[in-house]
Amino acid sequence: MKKLLALILSVMLVVSACGACASAEEEKVLNVFTWALYFDYDTLLAPFTEETGIKVNYDYFDSNEEMLMKLEAVDAGTYDVVLASDYILDIARKEGLLLELDKEKLPNWQNLNPAFLGQFYDPDDAYCMPYVAGTPLIIYDPEYVDFPITGYESLWDERLEDSVVMMDDARNVIGITLKTMGESFNTTDPEILAKAEEKLMQLKKNIRALDYNAPYATMISGEAIVGYMFNQQVLYTLQERPELEIVYPEEGLGFGIDCCVIPKNAPHPDNAHTFLNFLMRPENGAAIAEAQLMLSCNQAAEPYLSEEFTQNPVLNVPSELLESAEFIQDVGDAQTLYMDIWTRFKQY
Amino acid sequence: MRRQKRKAAGRAAYMALVLTFLYLPLMMVVLFSFNPSKNAGVMTGFTLEWYKQLFSDAEIAATLRNSLRLAALSIGTAAVIGTLGAVALARRKMRLQGLMEGVASLPVMVPEIVLGMAFLAAFSFVRLRLGLATMYLAHTTFCIPYIFLLVKSRLAAMDPQLEEAARDLGARPARVFFTVTLPVVLPAVAAGMLMAFAMSLDDVIISYFVTGPGAQTLPLKVYSSLKVGVTPEINALCTVTLGVVLLAILIAQRIRGVKSS
Repeated sequence: MKKLLALILSVMLVVSACGACASAEEEKVLNVFTWALYFDYDTLLAPFTEETGIKVNYDYFDSNEEMLMKLEAVDAGTYDVVLASDYILDIARKEGLLLELDKEKLPNWQNLNPAFLGQFYDPDDAYCMPYVAGTPLIIYDPEYVDFPITGYESLWDERLEDSVVMMDDARNVIGITLKTMGESFNTTDPEILAKAEEKLMQLKKNIRALDYNAPYATMISGEAIVGYMFNQQVLYTLQERPELEIVYPEEGLGFGIDCCVIPKNAPHPDNAHTFLNFLMRPENGAAIAEAQLMLSCNQAAEPYLSEEFTQNPVLNVPSELLESAEFIQDVGDAQTLYMDIWTRFKQY
Repeated sequence: MRRQKRKAAGRAAYMALVLTFLYLPLMMVVLFSFNPSKNAGVMTGFTLEWYKQLFSDAEIAATLRNSLRLAALSIGTAAVIGTLGAVALARRKMRLQGLMEGVASLPVMVPEIVLGMAFLAAFSFVRLRLGLATMYLAHTTFCIPYIFLLVKSRLAAMDPQLEEAARDLGARPARVFFTVTLPVVLPAVAAGMLMAFAMSLDDVIISYFVTGPGAQTLPLKVYSSLKVGVTPEINALCTVTLGVVLLAILIAQRIRGVKSS
């Protein structure tokens, strides 16, 4: 039995050692890790492979948290480019899982819009390349809503009983409750959170559905007449129901940026830099924003965007509103408070 | 007479209810694969556009190839290991027999999420690079019990005198195995392999933990597409899969029918 175990382990070691030896010289391979479809195959990956001869292995994850777990498990290796959300990359950076970007190899860095740089998750712009950004908006059906909707506070109106759809997300929904009270998305004060919970409970009777991935379906079918959801979901809704109207909430917008990073022990860091530089080309920046239906982080891409895109109010939030927008950030231990409130909110 | 009629009506209603619950969701999937609207929960017309996109989608083709290759490799290996294990445990009385049988079928009982975490921990411990190799090891492991259990119960029902007679007639153990035992258990092996194939093909949880570059399977891709929105292309894919499965079942029944008549 002991011999057998030793044999198995040695076989495994040989296999893994060989895996390592294959990657010693930089082969023409790039391992990317993100949600499915987030790197568009036709407009990005296929042209990249054709131009550079680098084969792209596309690996998928389902949530930011799973990405972090996996990255920790493989000791920040295996993957060359990871595309995920701001707050989780903040954690990854603090854990030392990210490789500092070599700006010499990224001449296209200057194409990026400075409004999306120097953010909380990477104050010195050393690790993260912004890919796309998003802000959740309110969308409503003017035919059934006979009073003006101006912001988050309007969602509490008693005339909206059983007709609101929102993302099933603790931080976003508790966040907008805090906003109606004039507080920050990221408060850690238990007293303020207790008050927010009280207020949130009054929203309960207006909620028709909580849905993170497809709230637009509830809006399109007309089951809900007011929704609070991410940009691309608002756009999906408008594609089917162009008569609906959108609102920039007066209390202030929420904001998120998804970024590309290179893990610390990436097997092909040179290819990764080549890929990031490729993504920052103006025409590719435009292709990314158009394919993902999210805000473009690439300033030089603006002339390449279609008129349909640039005229779209969902994707062109006035910059003064964007400046006052607030990120949802890691709140440390207060996360449990948020989760407890959310559990109680959903319970009955 | 009347009571019987009412009973029959009750049975029919019950049957209809069960069938509705079982098949209505599947019908919806098929229906929406013909829906021209990308995001709607309502039908807005009829189109074959999604099927056209499906068959020209290089990413889906690649993940499907990975899925099929992985399933074929791992159930092949699992069939050999599972069958041999079942024969050994059924024909030899060993110390700790019960314990060994229990341990061998444990992977079916252990929650997948625990198994996935365990695989990941073990693989990173021996510094095995995540990818096709780790997927193969994990899938083989969780496929073995399906074959092992079915073959073992088949062997329990088999008359041990068959093998004894062969031995009496001078056949070597290997010969006994190939000419007597294997043909008897072959249907169980095939059934086990089919079950294991289904398990391997649709596994998300364990695969999620142990997958790596170049080893993405179809279910992982479908599951991960939720962030960007599932299009009716996925519905079309499900419809095609359903069609293939139905065809396979029809053929299998046809073969069984021919055999028994």
